Parts: sequence; structure tokens; C-alpha cells
Amino acid sequence: MIFKLEDVTVYFPYDNIYPEQYSYMLELKRALDAKGHCLLEMPTGTGKTIALLSLITSYALSKPENPIKFIYCTRTVHEMEKTLAELKLLHDYQTRQLGPAAKILAIGLSSRKNLCVNSRVLAAENRDSVDAACRKRIASWVRALAAENPNVETCEFFENYEKAASAAVLPPGVYTLQDLRAFGKQKGWCPYFLARHMIQFANVVVYSYQYLLDPKVAGIISKEMQKESVVVFDEAHNIDNVCIEALSVNVRRQTLEGATRNLNRMNQEIERFKATDAGRLRAEYNRLVEGLALRGNLPITDAWLSNPALPDDILKEAVPGNIRRAEHFLHVLRRLVQYLRGRLETENVEKENPVNFVASINAHAGIDQKALRFCYDRLHSLMLTLEITDTDEFLHIQTICDFATLLATYTRGFSIIIEPFDERMPHIPDPVLQLSCHDASLAIKPVFDRFQSVVITSGTLTPIDLYPRLLNFHPVVSRSFKMSLTRDCICPMVLTRGSDQLPVSTKFDMRSDPGVARNYGKLLVEMVSIVPDGIVCFFVSYSYMDEIIATWNDSGILKEIMQHKLVFIETQDVAETTLALDNYRTACDCGRGAVFFSVARGKVAEGIDFDGHYGRLVIMFGVPFQYTLSKILLARLEYLRDQFQIKEGDFLTFDALRQAAQCVGRVIRSKADYGMMIFADKRYSRHDKRSKLPGWILSHLRDAHLNLSTDMALHIAREFLRKMAQPYDKTGGGSRKTLLSQEDLEKMTNDGSINNMLY
Amino acid sequence: MSSLQVTKRTKYKTSVKDPGSPGALRMNEQKLLFVPDNRNSGTKVVVEFKSIQGHKYTKEGSNKPPLINLSNVQGGSYIFEFDSYADLHVCRDFVSKVLEKSRETSGTASEKAAVTLADEQLSTAEMQLRIKLLQEDSELQKLHQQFVGGNILTEAEFWATRKKLLDTDSCRKSKQRVGFKSVMISDIRPLTDGQTNKVTFSLTPEIILQIFAEKPAVHQAYLNFVPKKMTEMEFWTKYCRAEYLNHTKNVHAVAAEAAEDEELAVFLKEDDILAREVRKKIRRVDPTLDMEADEGDDYTHLPDHGILRDGSKELNKSQNEFYRRTLLQDLNRHAAIVLEGRTVDVEREDNTNAVAEALAHSKQGMEEADGNENKNRADRISRVTPIEDLQPADSLPLAPLSIKDAREYFDSQQVNALKTSRDASARMESRSCNTQEAYASMRNAISEIKENGLSDPIVSSDVAIKHWTTIQELLRHFWSSYPITTPYIFTKVTRLKDAMSNIYPQLEELKESLQSDLRHQVSLLVRPMQQALDAAIQHHDVDMQKRSVKSGEKPNGYT
Repeated sequence: MIFKLEDVTVYFPYDNIYPEQYSYMLELKRALDAKGHCLLEMPTGTGKTIALLSLITSYALSKPENPIKFIYCTRTVHEMEKTLAELKLLHDYQTRQLGPAAKILAIGLSSRKNLCVNSRVLAAENRDSVDAACRKRIASWVRALAAENPNVETCEFFENYEKAASAAVLPPGVYTLQDLRAFGKQKGWCPYFLARHMIQFANVVVYSYQYLLDPKVAGIISKEMQKESVVVFDEAHNIDNVCIEALSVNVRRQTLEGATRNLNRMNQEIERFKATDAGRLRAEYNRLVEGLALRGNLPITDAWLSNPALPDDILKEAVPGNIRRAEHFLHVLRRLVQYLRGRLETENVEKENPVNFVASINAHAGIDQKALRFCYDRLHSLMLTLEITDTDEFLHIQTICDFATLLATYTRGFSIIIEPFDERMPHIPDPVLQLSCHDASLAIKPVFDRFQSVVITSGTLTPIDLYPRLLNFHPVVSRSFKMSLTRDCICPMVLTRGSDQLPVSTKFDMRSDPGVARNYGKLLVEMVSIVPDGIVCFFVSYSYMDEIIATWNDSGILKEIMQHKLVFIETQDVAETTLALDNYRTACDCGRGAVFFSVARGKVAEGIDFDGHYGRLVIMFGVPFQYTLSKILLARLEYLRDQFQIKEGDFLTFDALRQAAQCVGRVIRSKADYGMMIFADKRYSRHDKRSKLPGWILSHLRDAHLNLSTDMALHIAREFLRKMAQPYDKTGGGSRKTLLSQEDLEKMTNDGSINNMLY
Repeated sequence: MSSLQVTKRTKYKTSVKDPGSPGALRMNEQKLLFVPDNRNSGTKVVVEFKSIQGHKYTKEGSNKPPLINLSNVQGGSYIFEFDSYADLHVCRDFVSKVLEKSRETSGTASEKAAVTLADEQLSTAEMQLRIKLLQEDSELQKLHQQFVGGNILTEAEFWATRKKLLDTDSCRKSKQRVGFKSVMISDIRPLTDGQTNKVTFSLTPEIILQIFAEKPAVHQAYLNFVPKKMTEMEFWTKYCRAEYLNHTKNVHAVAAEAAEDEELAVFLKEDDILAREVRKKIRRVDPTLDMEADEGDDYTHLPDHGILRDGSKELNKSQNEFYRRTLLQDLNRHAAIVLEGRTVDVEREDNTNAVAEALAHSKQGMEEADGNENKNRADRISRVTPIEDLQPADSLPLAPLSIKDAREYFDSQQVNALKTSRDASARMESRSCNTQEAYASMRNAISEIKENGLSDPIVSSDVAIKHWTTIQELLRHFWSSYPITTPYIFTKVTRLKDAMSNIYPQLEELKESLQSDLRHQVSLLVRPMQQALDAAIQHHDVDMQKRSVKSGEKPNGYT
């Protein structure tokens, strides 16, 4: 359908639209008009992504004189694929309606691992070795060598891409990673470098958060994005965690050992160069004296991960004299590694702030702050000089330099925590030195500063006023939308007691109670026998899930479950989990039905949808609190309290409940869909916990469903499923429409009633 | 039926030790009767088969005399000793047949007996199929009882109109392969006898097949080791030992044992073949699910970057990973195998060697089939579900219609077609009707009655439908008998006509049983039935007339 939204003509690829989608677009448009940032919470199952995509592309189409770029950030690659698939649908519609004028270039960008088509490079096991295998074939010195010596292996895809030069462009269209690979293969061009080149020209770029938030990656990928861009962070409820992770580094024993190995190898290389090509090292020294920009005019092939500090904070001065010479720099690093090794051998937990830590490095190892700050850049330069291509072998020394640079750059918002062992496993010594960031606003600040509009959106942003504080920005629009339902297609329940009427909870003191495990098991056994197709279960952690499944296996509950449905489980092995998910879908499709066991905060909870028959019921076993004795968490809580006056308890509850809401929200995709959500823990019945759930869940949580036992829940589930199986009027009928056709929309716009309908 | 009986010389015993009293045992479908030779000393025994629960007998070749032991419901038993094993076998077969029959029918005994005995040329498979159909469909069973039991139709006639039912059923049965059960049977549990330290594992061919399918390493090991290196027994003993070790969950013990015995280690180690398969399969996964791709894109979590020991992070697993095959992996693997379905028919393959080899073959076949991996990678497509309720309504997918008897479906379609031209039914009464039209009109009326019956509290729809199905069945046979060519059909038609005439008073009764003001509505229900019957009977009468006149020039049904 095509409709006018104030002065913008919106092309929406469906015949009907939900009223909340309309309101969402309206708010979004106002934020774009104001060239400001915005924060929008919209329930899952209301077509948020398509509303967003069609508004922003239509907005760009309606203002051809000053084109805006659209940068869409997803948390995961599979969400990226999903978004691009939706965009494809939209683009097809828009070109059908508007002709070639609507043609845009939209691409997804990922790592070499996901884009490479060179089978010899792909044979490498993991991402880092793929990167290294690629560099081994395309680094500028390797190619120079290959020009003389035909036995040196290069990558034909990259060579062809280079040869095509400016002719190597992507024609307009929407490209998923799959499409990029296919295109690259067909043309014989390297899809990775083609995509990296094309993001400057693309109208829509879809990539993952870190390409903007993590300075290491953003520095090489997103440097040249224009200011007139709209940046969207979708599913952004965890954005604060992504931000602090991007700026955190750990040092462990293995890191230090590896770093020492790296230093030895670099030493050998230096010696070798001294003997064969001393001029090279001298040239580097001279360059560093002149203080030339370290990067900038580097060939694209030689760039590695960028500086871990934020671009604004990076010194533009010349490299200090004491680390200019390669040997000297190695000595400095050796002393640093030595110092860190000494600090790691502690018996107690130590917590320090960066200023003190830098001071003590200076006192004990004789490395001043400025030298530390240049560690990353100096290392990078040295590695280029030494022509090191197997970057995957040098990750350890890279970590040490990242650590040094971050440590010396930031004086606030960080702390250094040294733990001799993990609190949860005190008998296994595993010392670790962690530089952890507490301030989420640091990493995202450059994004807010650089781009005209930043949109932060998700199904779970409750309480919505917390995010501007955590991320330190001022949204021009901050809205939380309700969900208009045609029928009560979601049925949240709080289960507080098991079939024996005893309370159930994953609270610390009840967690190991066999009665709770049995009650949880019985609940599932009953549910698998009445709920059709797919059921998803979330546990509070892997270890708890492991434990409870073992208990169920021993007591025969698992066998009872398997009599009704197949069982699939998320494990810590990603490949296995992926296959399990794929099989789970097959099992739901073929009618056998299945249960998927997963973990809150896990990879599945983050981004896999269980819509339609893939999820008719989701059970959240327990409240997914963080492990509250974690030193890092405590440090962060302290920081939040001091800086933002956020109480510890409030933050922990907020964090747990957003995870729970995220888990259960995965079952609804549209208003035609339906699903039940069981919160199985007595603590959910408490008002202070429950009230932190997003409004769209709370508004469907009836008082009668707040304190259920297994048998009552079973009864409600039966009734609900029976009701949902009936045909219904999709438009909602009556006075309050939940589905608008083009006609409805026009009528309402004309008589002004559209403004009353807004959510 | 009662003609079927067996008489044999036997001795009746109250217990095995008892010398017994000689006499004659006579058995028929309903009961068994033992008459002792010596009327004074022996006891006469009369037992209804209904009260017999089970029977036991001695095996030929054992040293015992040929005995049969019938236990009754109350727990008592009757023991007969025969002169020879041949006699015993005759009696045993008879008893088992009768018992089976009485168990199946339980309640509709006579009707079932008719099924099995009326057509002796039927194979047992066909008979069983018929019985199964009757059991599944109570309507059909009622009809069968009414007509075949009431001698209006013969068994063969009844089924002749339902050939399709028999056909489709049997071919469906042969086509569909039974899949694996959802329950994990490969997870064998040790049984302890409680006294010694011995544990027992039991394996069946079915379990072995599943083990092979779920654990390719074990399968591979079997092909390599048996019988060259060890016997099958030794192989499975080793396997069970490995399973037992795994159950103890003592990682160190497992590692120690594996270090000593390399063959045992094969079962304890992680499965290389599985790992390879995973890598291969992951390329075919829907990209919107592919979490491995995330890992390839995640530069925030370079080794030692990001937050390590946060409260939200999980513990790192212990070091001795090598020998830890987890339950979770097994569960996932099991479910995947169940979905893949059975590739080998275990019933056909009794010995393990054959199973192992057949599985290897089928695997090879599969590998060849997906040899071109890159192509597969290119073929995989993302699943995008459009938001269904935002789309125009007509694109909604419909569940395919499942029809047990396709003819019923087409018949009801004809009803719809005829509905528009109701005038045709007037013509039907002028006897230009053919089989189909008459039948169609029946169906039409039925659907009407179904509708009316639901909204009509006076006559329960059940009663109406019962009459309808009866009439429908009769008319179906009636019309399909024309033209009458053989005397057999002639008698059949006569029988049918009589049965139909008997329905009139029943319908009248239905009307009479109600108050007069409601009678009108009921007669609306009944009239179509009467009309359909009228048409049939009129046709019959005309036909009879013609036959008696012997004027064969005019075709059937023309006045």
C-alpha cells in the first residue's frame, strides 16, 4: 500500500498495516525531520523491522536532493540475513510501484570468513585463520613478490578485483551475504573487498553492531560514512553490554606465554632484516620520527584490526622516541609482559583504577603513559615492516598492546580487576587480569556525535528513561508503543507452584532442591502432551540446564517428554546448536513436534525467532539474574550508582527482567500468531519484579494468572489453545481497528481521526 | 457356524498330576463340552469360550505328554491330555482361533464371526483388514451388523461397494515406512541384580540399529573390528563397558581406561565422523539460523577481548574435554537421526552384520547425493515469513483435504451441483433417474437433515442420520444391481426391496411419536427419505412388470 505520512509518501509492501506500525513510522519520521536521535520501544510481533525499513527508504526516496544513507545494525549475522530478506521484499515492491527510480543499493557486510569464495582460504578452521590465510595471499609485499616469482600463491579473486579497478561495482539491488558470494564467484571478484568498497556508495548498509561500536573494527570499516546517515540499532536492549564489551580486554597466563613467543619471533625477524635489509627498519624509524600518520595511505589489503581506543581519543602526535626503534619497542613490551606476569601471581582479588595501574607500571617497569598509549600503533607499524602475514599467530601480543593503549588512554569509567580464580570454581587456579569498561556511553559516543540520526529500538526497552542515562544521549523522540490485539493472542502466566503445590524458584537456596527440578519437569511433561508443535524452554544458565536435564534423565522425566516430542538442546558449541535449531524447525514442520532447551542470555535467546508453530509455548524456568558476586558486575554496579544514581537492586532486576522478556517475546511475530508464556518462578508474582516487564506483556497478564500451580496452568493452556484455533475477524471489527487497509487509512487521515487512534 | 466343530478323544484332568478321566472333547465356536466315558465316575464339563482367558500347551519334542491347559476368568483351569500331538495341535489351533475371535469382537461377537466365516476364500490378511476397518469406523460397523448380520446383504456384497476402502488402505500400508520412535532407546541403562556386582545390558536389533545410526564411530568400529579382531559378543561387551563408564560421570576414570585400551577409547572419544558431518551439514542450514556465521563476524570477542568473568558469562568447562561426550550432544544427535528417518529395514535384517552393512550402503548413497557441497551452499535460502495477516487474505495456505473414501467426496460434490437444478429431482420421480441421481438426491437430503437436525431439538439428529445411513446403504446396493442379469442379483434386489419396505413404518412411527404441531417439521425431514425410497420401489415394480410381460424391447426405466 502507498500512503502519505505528512510530506512523505510511504511505500509499504503489504496490503494492510497495523495502527502501531503507522504510529511508529510517524514518530520515526519526526525524529528524522528533527535530525535527532530517538528511542522507540515497540512490542515484538508488530512488524517493527518492516515498518522501519519502509519508512526510511521511502523517506530517502522522497528527498532525492539530499540523499541520506541508511546504516542498519543488527546484533548477529542471521538477523542481518533476515533484515536483508525483508528489505528485498520491500525493494521489489518499491521498484514495481515506482520503476527504476526506486532502485537502491543495499548490502550486508561481514567478515572474510562469511564472504570469502576462495576455497583454499576457506579451508582454514576459524575466523582468525581465514583472515590470516587471506592476508598471506593479498598483502602488498606478497603481491609484489608474486609479480616476480610465479610460485608465490596469490588469490585470483582479489587479483581480478584489482584488475577490474573502478569497473568493479555492484549493480543496484539488495545483496545478502549469499548474493554477494554468488556475484563474486560469477564475476571472479573478491566479494569481501568488493563489499567493503561498495559500502561507501550503498544506500543501505546492514552489518553488525561492532562495525560501528567497536573501535577496532569501526576504525577500518566505518571510517568514511557520511554524516547524513540514519543509524539504526535494532534489538538494542543489550546495547549497553555491547558497548562495554567493545572496550574491555583480559590478560591471562596463556596470553602472556603467547605474547612472549610472539616477541621472540619478532626478535628473530628483526635480526633477519638487520642482516638482509637493514634499510627497511631505518626507513620505518624515519617515518616514525616524522610522525607521519601510521595509517591512512596504507593499501586496503594491509590494514588489520584498528586501534582499540576511540578515534577522538587517539593521539595524533609522533611516536615517542623511546619506542621508535624496533628493538627498543620489543624491550618495552618484554618489560610490560614481565610486569603483568608478576601482577597475575596474586592470591587475592585486587581492584585498581587505571591511573594507579599506569603509575605502578611506570614505577616498576619504567614505561610511561605516553609510550603505553602508542603501543598499539607502534606494534602495527612494526608488523607491517616485518611483513608478518600470519596475524592469527600474533593475537596475543596484539591483546597486550590493546590493553596498554586502552589503559593509558582512559582514566575514568574503567577498572582493573585481578582474580586468582573464578569465584564459582575456587579449586581451579585460573588467574586473570581484566581491564573492564563500565561506562556504556564511551563506545557509543562517537556514533551519536558523528551521525545525524541514531535510532535505538527494540521490543524491550523498559524502563525507557534508563537508556538515555546509560548511554548518555538526548533523544528527540522517546516512545513506548502498546500493542493493539485483535484477540488475546498472547497468554502470559506466572507459575509459582508445582503440581504438589510447593513453590518453585531458581533462587539460590532452592536451586538444588530436587523437588523444584521435579516440579519443573512435571510441568513440561504435562505441557508437551497438550501443546501442539513447538515448545521452547529457557533456563537461567548453561550449568543449571545441564544439571536439570541430567536430573530429568535419571528420574525418567526426560523419557516421558520424549514420548511426546523430540528434544533439542542449545549447547556451547555453536555449530551443534545451529544444527539443532535447524532440526527443531524440521521437526515442527513435519508435525512430530519438538522441545527446544535454551539459555537466557545465550545465543539463541538473543536472535532466533520461534514464531508461528515453531513456538506455541515458551517456558522461562526461573529469573535470569546475573551471578551477583562477580567482581566485574560489582564494580559496574558501583559505577552506575556513583555516576547515574541507579540502585544496584534496581539494575539487577531490570537486567534480569529484560532478558526474561526477551526470551518470551520470541514466540510472537504477528497478530495472527499466538503463543503462551509461562514464567515459572514464584518471584515473578512479586510486584517489584513483575512491574519491570514491558507494558505489552503486563497488559495481558491477568490478575488471575499471577499465582498459578501446574494444574491450573494446564487448564488455562487447554482453554487458550482451543480458543486460538477458532477462525476470527482479522480486522478487529468494532470501533477499534487493529488492522488498517489503504481505504481505512485514507478515511482516517481525512477526518483527522488518525490522531486519536495513535498508540 | 455351529457346524464348525472339533471332536477328539482326551483325558480330563483337574491338575497335571491327576491321572484324569478319559472321554470325548467336543468344541464349537461358543463352548466346549467334555463327556466322560464312564458316566458315573467322571465329571461332565461344559465351558463357554467367553469365560476362557488363555491357553497353554506342551511343546512337541518335550518329554511331557500332550497337554492343553485352558485358564478361565476366575483363575481356575481345565487340563486335557490328548492321545497324540496331532490331536493336540488341531485343538490348540481351534482354541486359539476362537479365543482370538472372541477377544476381538467382544460385544459384537456374532457379527465378527460372520465376517470371518462367510467368505472362506478370503486370506487372513484381507480379513484382518476388514476387521480393522470395522473397528476404526463405528458407523460402518453398525451398518455391517445391520445388513450382513440381518442377512439382507452378504459379506461379499457389503464389501464390494467398498473396494476402494480396502485398496487404498492396503497400499497405504505398504508404502509408509515406520520411523524411529521419539524416545531414545540407544541410551541403554544397566540392570543390576542387586546381589552381585554384575550389571546387565540388553540390546535388540532395533537398539543396535539406532546405536549405529547415532554413533557413526561405533558403526565404523564394528565394520573394522568384527569379526576380524573380535567377536560380536566381545564388541558389544566393550561397548557396554564404555557406556557404563560414561554413566559414572567420572572423567578421570574414563580417561584412564581409555588410555589403557585403544579399542575402548574408540567408544569414549569424541566422534570424529560426527564432527565432520556437522561441518558439512552446517553449510546447508538456513542463513537466518546460522549462528556459526556470527562467530565468524564477532571481532569484539577476539581471544581475550570483551568481558570474561562477568556475572552474565558462563563458566569455562574443565580441561579434560576429550573424553566428555555429553548427554546433551547425545540428545541432539538422537533427535536428528529420528528426523532423518529409518534408512534400513530392521525387520528384514536380523543379524547385526547385515544391519551394519546396509547402513553403510545407505550412507554412501547419501554422500554421493550431496557430493556437490558448494552447490548446496548456493541453494540454501533464507526463510522469510511475510507477516501473514497484513497480506491479502486469499494467499493464506490451506491445509490439504484428507479423504478416506474419495467417492464420498465426489458424491457430495454432485449434491452441490444438483442443488441448483432441483427440477431434476422431479424428473427423477418420472423414473428417468439413474443410479447416481437417485443417490445424489439421497445425499442432498442427508445434508439437509444434518443442518436441520442440528437446529431441531425435536428429533435428535442421531436418529435421523441413522435412518439415513441405513437407507443410503440399501439404495446404494439397490441401484447398483440394475440391470438385473442373473438370478442372483434378482434375489438380492428382492431382499433389498423387502428391507426398504420395512423402513416405511419406521419413518411413520417417527412422525407419529411427535405432537401434531411439530409433525410438519419432521415430515420435512422424512419426506426426502420417503421420496428416495418411493423412486426405488417404483422402479422395482415397473421392472418386475416388464419382466413378467417379457417385453424386452424398451430399455430399463422407460414407461
